[in-house]
Amino acid sequence: MRPERWRALTALGLALTAGLVALAVSLTLTGYDAASALSALWLGGFGTSEGLLSATLPRAVPLILIGLGLGVAFRGGALNIGAEGQFYAGAGVATWIGLSLGGWPRPVAVALVLLGGAGAGLLYGLVPVWLRLRFGVLEVISTLLLNFVAEGVISYLVQGPLMEPRHIYPQSALLPLAARLPLWTGTRLHLGMALALTLAVGIWVFERRTRPGFMLYAAGVNPSAAWIMGRIDTRKVFALALLASAGLAGLAGGAEISGSTYALFQNLSPGYGFTGIAVALLARLHPLGIVASGLLFAGLEAGAGAMQRDAGVPAVIVSVVEAAIILTVLLGDAASRRRLSPATGI
Amino acid sequence: MTPGSIADAAWNSGAFQGLELIQDSLQVQISHVEARTPGEQEEALRAYARQGYALIFGHGFEFQGAAERVSAEFPLAIFIITSGEQLRGNVAPMIFRLGEATYLAGLVAGGVTRSNVIGFVGGIELPPIREAADAWFAGARASNPRVTTRSTYLNTFDDVAAGREAAVALLRAGADILTHNADQAALGLFQAVKEAPSVYVFGANLDQTDLAPERVLGSAVIDLPRAFLAVAREVQSGTFTPHVESFGLASGVVRYEPNPALLHLLSSDIQARVSAARDSIIANDRAP
Repeated sequence: MRPERWRALTALGLALTAGLVALAVSLTLTGYDAASALSALWLGGFGTSEGLLSATLPRAVPLILIGLGLGVAFRGGALNIGAEGQFYAGAGVATWIGLSLGGWPRPVAVALVLLGGAGAGLLYGLVPVWLRLRFGVLEVISTLLLNFVAEGVISYLVQGPLMEPRHIYPQSALLPLAARLPLWTGTRLHLGMALALTLAVGIWVFERRTRPGFMLYAAGVNPSAAWIMGRIDTRKVFALALLASAGLAGLAGGAEISGSTYALFQNLSPGYGFTGIAVALLARLHPLGIVASGLLFAGLEAGAGAMQRDAGVPAVIVSVVEAAIILTVLLGDAASRRRLSPATGI
Repeated sequence: MTPGSIADAAWNSGAFQGLELIQDSLQVQISHVEARTPGEQEEALRAYARQGYALIFGHGFEFQGAAERVSAEFPLAIFIITSGEQLRGNVAPMIFRLGEATYLAGLVAGGVTRSNVIGFVGGIELPPIREAADAWFAGARASNPRVTTRSTYLNTFDDVAAGREAAVALLRAGADILTHNADQAALGLFQAVKEAPSVYVFGANLDQTDLAPERVLGSAVIDLPRAFLAVAREVQSGTFTPHVESFGLASGVVRYEPNPALLHLLSSDIQARVSAARDSIIANDRAP
């Protein structure tokens, strides 16, 4: 491993430790038992098979898939803030497809559901691409606003066309067994994790070893140089990078429906699309690093639930602390990066 | 497990009080967690069952599907789903007929309104919420046939600002009596009512008189602590068998609690009608 990467990892470790110490201090100051809270955080996130297999890993699947996509988008210079909406677009279409595939063979049905989710996310990503290339509308704004549109549409769907057959509750019917990703029996871990890991390796190879992967990198670091010196069509790279991330976010939505909830709900996501941004940035967009940071964030959130259950720390304190840890980690990361390579931003 | 914050002074804080009452009365270990998304709800149900909790309350219909899936793997735990829809193995619903109390509140609303317009703000349009609102409207029409009714659903139980906006809109539309079933979002409704002159409001799920002592005519109350403790007692003594538990006025768990400070606004005729209606609902329930 290169020495600067070691230093970056050390900085990350220090920041995480600092975050946890800050958590311990603030818990003690507010009158909670810090030791039992931190032990609950560890046990709920990573330290027990229930926490790891049924809480952390299932939460990590959408975070890794979304993080991988955003890694590609940010590398290509597309600031996609709309993964949450693209996730919902994927979840909505995946539900619609899955509900109509009752009699199909399972591998085919599951593949169609996941592809439908990815396709829906990708189509939804076309909107900001078109707005940017045709009218110059910044994708930061368009993708952000499209999140609200997607959430509104899902809310309509679960109270309208996709509402469960008795028309009582604002949720869809349950997907038929054929459309569900296989589970590891006795846990909530589903095959979507294998898919996420495979994609991580695939994207890593793509970025490191292929010509388009290099073009993506070059276009992101310095678009005008890439355009003038390398004859790289940076508009095309921008479009493809954003579409890839939108497709992966849609895939995450499909996998969540097919692997975890089996039905569409208007509050399906606890903010995966936004946490995914932190996941990608923390890993410095490195695909394998995104797997690790996805696991870290998933474990923090799963552990936060356990802190509330087993140590009585209220949900509000838990989310404040979570945000504090994320900020400390990102701050430490940014500081170390500035010292190492002042020229390149992300 | 609650689907929202226990600081809502209504549905969720009532459940938490129930949990604390169980701890104090039965000397057992309790735990609470807020679980908002379907994934988090299933995760939390599993975690509790795995840790060996004997009695698990999923506080809302949202928990039904996940509880059915989880319960198959943990047959020893008992899952109570408040406002649940069906009995399934060791998953038992606990249903509150809040409409019996909101009907009484409606009789009062019909008697007190001057503009003859009354308004309801709901969280998400779910069957128990719609039924309670319909009963309130029916009560108001029974005591005042000229009443027109308006209702708004926020599509959320959390958004205090949305609750306030909906209340302001209803007041502008001429309503002078409001009620709600919107948990935390309703805190905005109480703010709006306090700022408008001579407008009154009813509380829902808990006795909410304290939120606006000069404006709350009364509350349609679900005594969640009492209901929770009754189930927990049975579970502790081993006499619990999963069944559909349904509470109305007759059980004393669902009640209409008037605000004594504002009783002077009610004519003696209305007061008589309220107690007559209460007696007849209870008598009907007790009749075979």
